[in-house]
Amino acid sequence: MSPTTLEVKQLKKSFQEDLILNGLSFQLKKGEILSVVGPSGSGKTTLLRVLAGLETPTHGSLWMNGKDITATKANRRDISLVFQQPLLFPHMTVEENIVYGAKVSKKYNKQKVERLLEAIGMSRYRNHFPAEISGGQQQRTALARAMATEPEVILFDEPFSSLDPSLRQDLRYWVRDFLVEQKTTALFVTHDMEEAMIMGDQIAVFQDGTFQQIGEASVLHHHPANQKVASFMGGHLILNENEFVPLGDIQLSPGHGDGEVRTFQGRMEHLTYQHGHPVAHINVPALGSRVALPVQQVTTDTEEVTLHIPTSRIQRFEVNQHE
Amino acid sequence: MKQNSHIFLVLTLLFFLIPLLVLVAQSFSAPWRFQTGAGLDWELRSYEQLLQNPMLWKATFTSICIGFVVLLLNVLIGVFTGKALTTVPFKGKPWVEALLLSPILIPVLAIAMGLHIFMIRAGLADTALGVIIIHLVPTVPYSIKVFHNSYQQIGRAMLEQPHILGSGFFRQLFTVELPLLKPALRSVTFLTIVISLSQYAITAVIGGGRVLTLPLVFFPFLENADASVMSAFSLWFAVIPVWMYILVEAAILLLPYSRLPWRNKR
Amino acid sequence: MKSFNLKHSLLFLPAVLFMLLPLYGLLTAVLNSFGRHRGWTLDYYRQIFESNRFVTSLVFSLQTALIATLLSILIGIAFTRSFYPILEKMAPRVSVWIPMLFPHFVWGYMVILLLSETGVAAQLLTAAGWIADPQQFPILTRDPDGIGIILTYVWKEVPLVILMLLPVYASIRPEYYALVDTLGGSAWNRITAVELPHLLPVLMETSLIIFSFTLSAYEVPALLGTTFPEMVSVLSYDWFYGSSWQKRPLAFAAMVSISLVLLVLSFIGYGYLNKARWRAMRGSRS
Repeated sequence: MSPTTLEVKQLKKSFQEDLILNGLSFQLKKGEILSVVGPSGSGKTTLLRVLAGLETPTHGSLWMNGKDITATKANRRDISLVFQQPLLFPHMTVEENIVYGAKVSKKYNKQKVERLLEAIGMSRYRNHFPAEISGGQQQRTALARAMATEPEVILFDEPFSSLDPSLRQDLRYWVRDFLVEQKTTALFVTHDMEEAMIMGDQIAVFQDGTFQQIGEASVLHHHPANQKVASFMGGHLILNENEFVPLGDIQLSPGHGDGEVRTFQGRMEHLTYQHGHPVAHINVPALGSRVALPVQQVTTDTEEVTLHIPTSRIQRFEVNQHE
Repeated sequence: MKQNSHIFLVLTLLFFLIPLLVLVAQSFSAPWRFQTGAGLDWELRSYEQLLQNPMLWKATFTSICIGFVVLLLNVLIGVFTGKALTTVPFKGKPWVEALLLSPILIPVLAIAMGLHIFMIRAGLADTALGVIIIHLVPTVPYSIKVFHNSYQQIGRAMLEQPHILGSGFFRQLFTVELPLLKPALRSVTFLTIVISLSQYAITAVIGGGRVLTLPLVFFPFLENADASVMSAFSLWFAVIPVWMYILVEAAILLLPYSRLPWRNKR
Repeated sequence: MKSFNLKHSLLFLPAVLFMLLPLYGLLTAVLNSFGRHRGWTLDYYRQIFESNRFVTSLVFSLQTALIATLLSILIGIAFTRSFYPILEKMAPRVSVWIPMLFPHFVWGYMVILLLSETGVAAQLLTAAGWIADPQQFPILTRDPDGIGIILTYVWKEVPLVILMLLPVYASIRPEYYALVDTLGGSAWNRITAVELPHLLPVLMETSLIIFSFTLSAYEVPALLGTTFPEMVSVLSYDWFYGSSWQKRPLAFAAMVSISLVLLVLSFIGYGYLNKARWRAMRGSRS
């Protein structure tokens, strides 16, 4: 069992009347990567800013390696933050930017900088200025600069969202491998569930100021704690606040089984193709929701469809699982 | 577009370049009498006469010293305040900005007259220090504005970055902020020196005629010097900001991460 | 916002110390104008406003400053609007800013050199035979109408207006013009719908700065003005520095009156701007 690097206890943060963080608690083990996923504007960035020391929490405490760092200023915390924008210093070269990180944290040695430059594949561009390199290269340099401070924990605030999609895909795997290789403890914030699953060992679903559930992707998928998690995962049809059914168990034609079946009327509004499968976008008025249902083949030529749900497949949320 | 640039050229020549050339030509020749059909008599007499005047050198030295200290104080106040206005969140910011600009909206002569008695009591009247202090009034509001704009352009996120990496206040100031504020430093140098050189009335009020700056020599010169000498003197005024600019440019090269202009970027 | 802490306040310390200067200076001037050391009185104000010399001077100052400010702003806008693509280049920009390199009174001397009755223009016109004698050249400096003062100020402030407006024009995105055009707007709509909202804050501030300066500066009118009518600043300076100290309170009263005019104008200007800004913010929120 690895030791706990960062522990957050009962964190609260409010701006005027708005409660952004509401009693958040979690732990990060050494070398662990946690993805935090949540809708835009849910306060994910505020969480990172509090962890980094740019905002003071209204209530609660932060502990690093057993020491209380709640009152420690940002420049004295062993925490680095990589932003959406690379924010490289425009008057320094790639190498100087990385050296800067190492020197201000008093952890400079030449070999390390060489190693980092090598690792991010920027050795050739070490004397270039940020304006002369591409967005992806800038983001990699920003990561190397953050790593050069040898932080205990490195925080990422949607670091790929300003890059174009193909580049984003490549960089995700690269960063993931890099972090694992360097055995870095990291917290990775995104609004994209796919990205969260690629980046994190564990995924925390953040909504309404707190983590709705923390777990591995499979746990979140098979046993969502509540409606919010399930709707964010998108793999289930939510029947009511207690019950859901996996999309894979929904049939558009009457099944052969003899079990009890619940049916819902719906209207197919679109048909799209994702990952090689047709996906039917069905509006279900009775549930007041739309569902994107992967189908085997397009069978109906009418828009009206009936969803057949075997009662045996209906599951219940594990309500109040971790309270 | 082409026509537009012709008009621009004519206007710029007529109103900005030719007046300057007239000034230069007059300073290097005897006073003109074109109406009698006379031409130009090139000579250096005006400069000899001007530069032989010991008062001019003394006043130039005083003006430069005062201008330099005024500039330093302007940078200090401007940088701190510009940073505060950009990074500290508080309500009523537009009014604070207006308040900080107000010293150039109130007559500086009124302020100097009001401060005169205080200066006498504090022993600052008739001293260079007193003059430096009063020269802050018409200059600092501009500097605050320039530095504030510059900090805003750098942006809060960029200013947080060195802090997160572990940089302290002064290290951040010298390694990141000042290098990125270079354009602002240049503008402030020009503005401050020219404004400081422009002050006759408030320098006379606070300096009591004993702190002899260039304007205090220029005005009496008008009574008895001829057009050539006055033109040379006028150009002398423009030399000082240019000279100071070069000095500041050299100082800027000493900032971390500066690249000597003749060295290749890579 | 909890982050307003001691260290943040320290950043404001130099500005606060600096602001004590003008505040203390103005306050003392106000107190002296009410006769602080000789018993409180409104007498000095009564004296100046009953004197023909001061009232004429005040009217003359306001008129001169207003004309100089309006001309500077209008010429500055026209110039920037017409030429801002050219002004992006270094050499044209530096040429336009030549007057800013000189103090006001030096530029005032330049106006004398060029446009006085014995100046270069008069000499050249005589030599060319356009006028028979330099004396026929119109009196443009040290004239009772303040033409010389206005000329100097406009010549010197137009570059300032260009300096202030240039970044604004450079920052207006061409898409806005395209938008007005596609909506069927005229050239006038382009100005009112696109440029004016961007320009307004800068124009207001620049106008206030130029008006305050031209209304209250001493150097240029001292060089290019006449003895009657004279600008308030010159009059006050004479009262302040005159042979007897008796007239000092009059100097204070005169300068305080001017300050009051400027303060009221600034308040109206900034109040209007803040209201407009506030309205715009509310509009974008809802």
